[in-house]
Amino acid sequence: MKKGSALGLMLLLLSVITALAGCGQDKGTTTESANNEVKSELIYASAKDINDMNPHLYTGSMPAQGMVYESLVENTVDGIKPLLAESWDIAEDGKTYRFHLRKGVKFHDGEPFNAEAVKQNIDAVQANAEKHAWIKLSTKIASTKVMDEYTFELVLSEPYYPALVELSMTRPYVFISPKDFTNGGTKDGVSGYHGTGPYKLTGHKIDENATFEANEEYWGGAPKIHKITSKVLPAGETTLLALQKGEINFIFTDDRGADSIDVEAMNQLADSGDFQVVRSEAMNTNMIVANSSKVDNPVHEKAVREAIWVAIDRETISNNIFNGTQTVADTLFSSNVNYAHVELKKREYNPETANELLEKAGWTLTNGKSVRIKNGQPLALTLYYDSNSSSQKTQAELIQHALKGLGIQLEIVGEESTSIANRRATGEYDLLFNQTWGLAYDPQSTISAFTSDSAYKHTTSGIAQADELYKKIDEVMVSTDEESRQSLYADIMKMVHDEAVFIPITNGRVTVVAPQNLDGITFKQTQYELPFEQMKFK
Amino acid sequence: MDMGSYIVKRILLAIPLLFVISLITFVLINLSPLDPAVVVLQAQEVPQITDELIAQTNEALGFDRPFIIQYVNWLIACMQLDFGSSYVSGEPVWSLIGPAFLNTLKLTLVSSVFIIGFSILLGVICAMREGKAVDKSVRGLSFILTAMPSYWLAAIMIWTFSVKLDLLPTSGMDSLKSYILPVIVITVSYTGIYFRTVRSSMLSNMNEDYVLYGRASGLSERKVTLHILRNSLQVAVSIFCMAIPIVLGSTVVIENVFAWPGLGRLSVRSILNRDFPMIQAYVLILAVTFVLFNTISDVINAAMNPRLRKDL
Repeated sequence: MKKGSALGLMLLLLSVITALAGCGQDKGTTTESANNEVKSELIYASAKDINDMNPHLYTGSMPAQGMVYESLVENTVDGIKPLLAESWDIAEDGKTYRFHLRKGVKFHDGEPFNAEAVKQNIDAVQANAEKHAWIKLSTKIASTKVMDEYTFELVLSEPYYPALVELSMTRPYVFISPKDFTNGGTKDGVSGYHGTGPYKLTGHKIDENATFEANEEYWGGAPKIHKITSKVLPAGETTLLALQKGEINFIFTDDRGADSIDVEAMNQLADSGDFQVVRSEAMNTNMIVANSSKVDNPVHEKAVREAIWVAIDRETISNNIFNGTQTVADTLFSSNVNYAHVELKKREYNPETANELLEKAGWTLTNGKSVRIKNGQPLALTLYYDSNSSSQKTQAELIQHALKGLGIQLEIVGEESTSIANRRATGEYDLLFNQTWGLAYDPQSTISAFTSDSAYKHTTSGIAQADELYKKIDEVMVSTDEESRQSLYADIMKMVHDEAVFIPITNGRVTVVAPQNLDGITFKQTQYELPFEQMKFK
Repeated sequence: MDMGSYIVKRILLAIPLLFVISLITFVLINLSPLDPAVVVLQAQEVPQITDELIAQTNEALGFDRPFIIQYVNWLIACMQLDFGSSYVSGEPVWSLIGPAFLNTLKLTLVSSVFIIGFSILLGVICAMREGKAVDKSVRGLSFILTAMPSYWLAAIMIWTFSVKLDLLPTSGMDSLKSYILPVIVITVSYTGIYFRTVRSSMLSNMNEDYVLYGRASGLSERKVTLHILRNSLQVAVSIFCMAIPIVLGSTVVIENVFAWPGLGRLSVRSILNRDFPMIQAYVLILAVTFVLFNTISDVINAAMNPRLRKDL
């Protein structure tokens, strides 16, 4: 063999393999025809499988559940509106809710949606009440009653002001055909996934894809987009390449607040003329959560948390990392959240202040050292971010750099979102990225999560007035008086703000990347679902 | 010893090994300091975990029973391919791991055919032309290709063949075409390692006396080469047999880039979710695969070389 022919040989062999493409021609055509159909259907990328779609448990994908199942009422910009219930009366004692149901609604399997189905579903949720402890309504339902075919009565043990709001949530108070129940309920699993929503689940290949087809008999009119496919693709390059190839044509911010591609890639797609990028209003707050309960860790100290807060240049994060698509957040809840009109001391970006705070707290920098020390302990912390979120990684790097300048050593670690959630629950973290629940849920859901072990207990329990904080949270959830509720929420927000345990960064939005010719892209009051039924191709 | 009884003996030897593996798998997982009930509830993404709920879960899943009883129950169930239910989805582990295992196995077997084919081809060519330009350039190129991170190579391949040339799907497992890119990337990463084994084995055989005698007694150069190859492949067989479970257990990066619904992705997700029954099953399946291929390689070698049967 001559010189260089080895390279030729390799290339030849590789091209032989490539030529094998021809062998797959018979099956290969399915991919090509799929590309043509893309024009009339949506195929979106999701980092995770839709999982168990049982609407009364928590592993299912929320955007998918949002297409299939519906609740009695809907939380909108203008407050609570009818959905499966056309109207309702609340008795004067504030405990009895009587719902007048929409008539002629059918589950996807043809079963009628009526008061009996509502009762069976709510009873099924209550049979597993412990799993729904986060939603306080689950602890307050005293009885459920069928009044007539289309009238259903819910009696609470005590008045509970967020009852309708909690009934509007994606889970658990949504309705699945009672024919799908196993052992008379849903807690041991269900045998099918028939809701009343605009889309039916028609196919599911675990870890590959799930298909949803339009419910032609939908009470709100058949949706225009006939087919929606959720394709499991890892975030980043693979998703971007699949978008460019046309194998998928839709992506949106996932239920953990992570975008599967970065802003730069989105702009690149928009510039190509084939895609549009649509963003919602501010939905929630992206933040860094500090573990105040770690007594022997610097993060236990208020001064350290405050220093980190003022050391983070949110303006730069908003402008450079998010290209202005996310606005700077100064408080845990933005002012468009209910009860969040509270005067709070603004902590501006100022590295000088950070320096002073640390010096005052006794964290000193000795000559020649790059890390501050107090009583022999170095000022070293770890920040965890979601490895599926490219923007979190960039923010983490920026913050790491900023803190280094102040003599704080920050280690940054990227992990899967489930792993981050585990850390949050077990308290194995110093700092981690998180987000508030969102407009439809806040402030009550995020605030009641302050007391929950699996949520923010580790974040809040280390502060000086923790007991008082928890007491006020208990009070606000059952208070019936609007004014006292307002003042309790204000106190709570002030306490956690002063303690700097939730360090707000930006206000998050839901971002959709969709084909240029897709119309009617709107958003709900939550970042977890999208109203696909309102979209249509031009 | 005839082949039949050799095979039986070899398989019997594997059983205590599998038993030890199963025990280690179970113990390691149960050594975890976490309360298994809490792990289950976290895996199910229950937003708020209460003490009452933990007690309920412990009782329902039998975590309150003594360790040894849990192990025996688990082992008996495993023998019937019942690995319990996933903490996350509640579905039987086998119904989740089975299809994923099959998907990865398909990818692995196709890749192995190419890895073995190319390794032998390149190994022989390089050995025959030892020190020549061909040998040097093939080794040099393979060094570069092996050193390239597979996710990077994969991204370049997808960009070129799927997006630019529009020949192949970017990811997924929809058609035979979907195999091409992942197989190329896996083949490139492993061939560079394995062809060296064939090459060096060929080279050491070339200096054996039988080669000299063969040549001296006037055998054609082709026949001599075949003899060398046959002897060299004995070493290669065991290495190739072990290559299959190694590839099987390390496709996670490739599966991630190509969105392949396989064992690698499933296992990583299970680990992150702390889905213990899934992790146990995964470790056990992989261990069994290793033991199985090890046995197969011994059997093939014994068939090729009767002297080896005596040692058992």
